[in-house]
Amino acid sequence: MKRLIRHEEIDRILSCEDEILPSSGFAASVMDAVRREAAAPPPIPFPWKRALPGLVVAGLALAMVLIAGVVAIAQLGRASTIPQLSMSWPSVLAPIFQRNMESAAIWTVLALLVTLVSVKLSMRLASGRV
Amino acid sequence: MSASDDQADVERTLAGDLSAFEGIVRRWQGPLINLAYRFCRERGRAEEMAQEVFLRAYRGLGQWRKDAVFSTWLFALATNLYRSELRRIPARTVSLEDIAEPPDARASDGGLEDHDRDLAVRRAVFALPAKYREALTLFYFHDMDVPAAARTLGLPEGTLKARLFRGREILRSKLPQLLAVPRLKEA
Repeated sequence: MKRLIRHEEIDRILSCEDEILPSSGFAASVMDAVRREAAAPPPIPFPWKRALPGLVVAGLALAMVLIAGVVAIAQLGRASTIPQLSMSWPSVLAPIFQRNMESAAIWTVLALLVTLVSVKLSMRLASGRV
Repeated sequence: MSASDDQADVERTLAGDLSAFEGIVRRWQGPLINLAYRFCRERGRAEEMAQEVFLRAYRGLGQWRKDAVFSTWLFALATNLYRSELRRIPARTVSLEDIAEPPDARASDGGLEDHDRDLAVRRAVFALPAKYREALTLFYFHDMDVPAAARTLGLPEGTLKARLFRGREILRSKLPQLLAVPRLKEA
C-alpha cells in the first residue's frame, strides 16, 4: 500500500537541509580578487566625441539610401501599373533595369567612397593622429 | 547580521576603503555559498559562483538603491548569476523517474529509511523543471518566507505560490513509493 507524500513532510525534509561551511581561505581569496579588480585600470570609455561626426554621416547616408530605395520602389510600382500586355517580360523590364543599373552604379560608387572615408577616418582615430 | 552594518560597509567601500568590503564578504559568504550549493550541489562550484557574486557586487555596489535591504539586492544578484551559470553549464541531475525507483532491495518491500528518503526528496527537487526547482530552492533557503523568496526571484508572490504548489505536486506524484506504508515508526 502506498500513499502520497504530504506537503508538510516535503516542508519538513527540505527546510532542514545541512549547511556547508565556507573553506578557510574563501574570504581571503575573494578579497584578493577584489583587490585585483580595484587595482585594474578603469575601462577606456568609448570616444563618442570623436565618433559623432562619423555616426552623423553614416546616419545621413543610411537615410538617403532608404529614401532613394522607397522612391525607386514607388517608380517601379507606377511603371508596373501601366498595362502593356502585348509586350513580353524582358522588353518590359529592360528599360527599367537599364535605368536602375545606372542609378545602382552611382550608389555603389557612393557606398564605396563612404566606406573608404570611414575606414581611413577610423584608422586615423585609432592611431591617434586626429 | 545587521542591515546598518551592511550600509556602513557599502558606504566605506564606495569611499575607497577596500577593507570594509571584507566585512560584507565575511557576513555573507556562508549564505551565498549555501545558496549556490542548493543550486548546483557541488561544493567547489558553489564557492566559485559565490566568489563571482562578490566580485559583481563589488563592481555594482553603486547600483544598490537603498530603498531595498542590502541582503535582498545581494541575493537577487546571486540568484540571477546562479541561474545563468546553471543554464550555461547545467548541474549533473538524474531524472525524476530514476529517483522514484527504490535505490536498493531494502526499500522494495516498504518505505525508505528516513535518511534515504530525505535524500531522495532533495534529489527529486533537483530534477524538477527549473522554474519549480528555483521556487522551491529559494522558498526553503529563506525559511519558507514567501515574500523574501519572491523578491529574490523577482516574481509576484502569487506566481511564486503557484510554482511552489505545482512543484510540490510534481514531487508528490513522482515519489509515492518513498512513503510506502505501513512503516514501523508510524505503527
